[in-house]
Amino acid sequence: MFSRNHRSRVTVARGSALEMEFKRGRFRLSLLSDPPEDTELQRKLDHEIRMREGACKLLAACSQREQALEATKSLLVCNSRILNYMGELQRRKEAQVLKKTGRRPSDSGPHTERSPCRGQICISDLRIPLMWKDTEYFKNKGDLHRWAVFLLLQIGEHIQDTEMILVDRTLTDISFQNNVLFAEAGPDFELRLELYGACVEEEGALAGAPKRLATKLSSSLGRSSGRRVRASLETAGGSGSSPILLPTPAVGGPRYHLLAHTTLTLAAVQDGFRTHDLTLAAPEENPAWLPLYGSVCCRLVAQPLCMTQPTASGTLRVQQAGEPRDWVQVHGVLKGTNLFCYRQPEDTAPGAEPLFTIAINKDTQVRAGELDQAAGGPFTLSIRNQDGEEEVIHTLQAESRGALQSWMEALWQLFFDMSQWKQCCDEIMKIETPAPRKPPQVLAKQGSLYHEMAIEPLDDIAAVTDILAQREGARLETPPPWLAMFTDQPALPGPCSPASVAPAPTRIHSLPWGRPRTFSLDAVPPDHSPGASRLVAPLPLQRSPRSRGLCSKGPPHTWLQSPV
Amino acid sequence: MLLPLWGPHLGGGCVQPGQVAGPQRVEIHKLRQGENLILGFSIGGGIDQDPSQNPFSEDKTDKGIYVTRVSEGGPAEIAGLQIGDKIMQVNGWDMTMVTHDQARKRLTKRSEEVVRLLVTRQSLQKAVQQSMLS
Repeated sequence: MFSRNHRSRVTVARGSALEMEFKRGRFRLSLLSDPPEDTELQRKLDHEIRMREGACKLLAACSQREQALEATKSLLVCNSRILNYMGELQRRKEAQVLKKTGRRPSDSGPHTERSPCRGQICISDLRIPLMWKDTEYFKNKGDLHRWAVFLLLQIGEHIQDTEMILVDRTLTDISFQNNVLFAEAGPDFELRLELYGACVEEEGALAGAPKRLATKLSSSLGRSSGRRVRASLETAGGSGSSPILLPTPAVGGPRYHLLAHTTLTLAAVQDGFRTHDLTLAAPEENPAWLPLYGSVCCRLVAQPLCMTQPTASGTLRVQQAGEPRDWVQVHGVLKGTNLFCYRQPEDTAPGAEPLFTIAINKDTQVRAGELDQAAGGPFTLSIRNQDGEEEVIHTLQAESRGALQSWMEALWQLFFDMSQWKQCCDEIMKIETPAPRKPPQVLAKQGSLYHEMAIEPLDDIAAVTDILAQREGARLETPPPWLAMFTDQPALPGPCSPASVAPAPTRIHSLPWGRPRTFSLDAVPPDHSPGASRLVAPLPLQRSPRSRGLCSKGPPHTWLQSPV
Repeated sequence: MLLPLWGPHLGGGCVQPGQVAGPQRVEIHKLRQGENLILGFSIGGGIDQDPSQNPFSEDKTDKGIYVTRVSEGGPAEIAGLQIGDKIMQVNGWDMTMVTHDQARKRLTKRSEEVVRLLVTRQSLQKAVQQSMLS
């Protein structure tokens, strides 16, 4: 299990009393007094603990590897959320204690410190390029190594995960379709992105399977290997130690490893796609190692609340410079970088046009006070914008001193927010509402169509060599001599089929047999020949005349003879 | 060596080596040797075997069951089975799409004393092939 203590400010040390309480499952913060805002956190913590128990049970009940991967992922996410919440509660508790003892924290009261507004952070269109080497294709003929990967994203105490994706060497990138949204983040946010991966297949054919499945498998193996497996099962069970087929850790299930991570901040926010560097975490020896190119592309946008929510509104009298007599009474709404002036308060319904709009951006200058006592009267402020060469000044008059004060406050806050959120305040960045997360669907094996069909041990060697020949066909003048061993027609059941001994020079024709062999090079067959397109079409399973024999891996190498 | 009571002229089909007369029927009466019933030949092939190593087949993708050896004077030789014959059926059971072990089991059932085989010969196979090519 991964440990995330080194990153967060968790003071739950390994082996501490707090952790022991948690491990015993009797974790309640009743020992600590709960201020109201902590009850929300406590509720979330309880929820995660319940989810964790559920995930453990589900994991124990899983029989299929892919279910186990999903369950392990849920378990990991729950664990990290629990640790996070616990750390946060601890921190708040400590802050309380400090307050009680009279030692004030370093920051002074809220009225002197201005804090920037919160915002929504959305990261979407995540894509991690992969860099497969040639050796990967040739290392495992016929076996398709698959990995299960997902991303953990964290801002502060909020942790979100993406869906789990199965990756094999037919993919050039890992692409996540999720839109991950963090609701309340400050401009100083740190979005930590972690990529976790696990092998879908295990080293041994039986490792990871629960005991009954393993017994079933072992009995369907050949006699000698089945005997060996059963013997090892019996000895393991008899000795009282955990069965050798259940993998570590103690919970049971696949292991996820941290493959890469990075941290994104406000500087990375842009209304567009950007590429960021990934820090690779797993060495090549790690079983879940993937050939990551080293970068991640994504669209990271932020919507500060000041841009999307009105921050102040009220009645104003506005005078544009150059028209001293022309005072207009408007209902002003300060939203984002604009002060919208509507004729009536009712006009602020969406779709209605304001009378006029005063821009308030980082170049605007606002000055309170009585510039022109005679003209404006008390409670005025002036807004000065530079429009190229021109200078446009608006003077606003509020209803009362209090109203003026709150308008000034709103404007000061806006300027502060703009200085903190920087590029996010230039224009509103669009956030697409994330589609509701689809329930984990049946994890189809990704990759070429061939992998969706049953592994067929009865594939002809001729089928394989013919695929290779067709790839070579465009380049070779004459077929290589070893092709003479194979014909281009398989043996059909029933009457004997004719065998053409001499292969024709360019054998580009449709394949009469059912389905080409699952083969690593099948993934993206180069379309050298017109007949090759038929390789890609999914062929109905009925065409395969073979009977379903044993599940053997690899072509048969023997030709046994038995006396009867 | 024990000879069966029946001579080679008795039994299922009239098998003459070299003749081309359609699939041949061979009736083998098993010989009891101690606890076992033996037929006196060996088989090779099967869908789980590598057909390119079959020395008897014309078509090197043919995964059928072939007779690889016939014991001298054994029941199979007496019944007229020949080396290189391809066994299509045994007592009505298909032998063209079986694994090697399944084939062996079908021939060595303890409850059966007689097995009736349907075989084809190379000469026949060649003839069929030539007729298809022309």
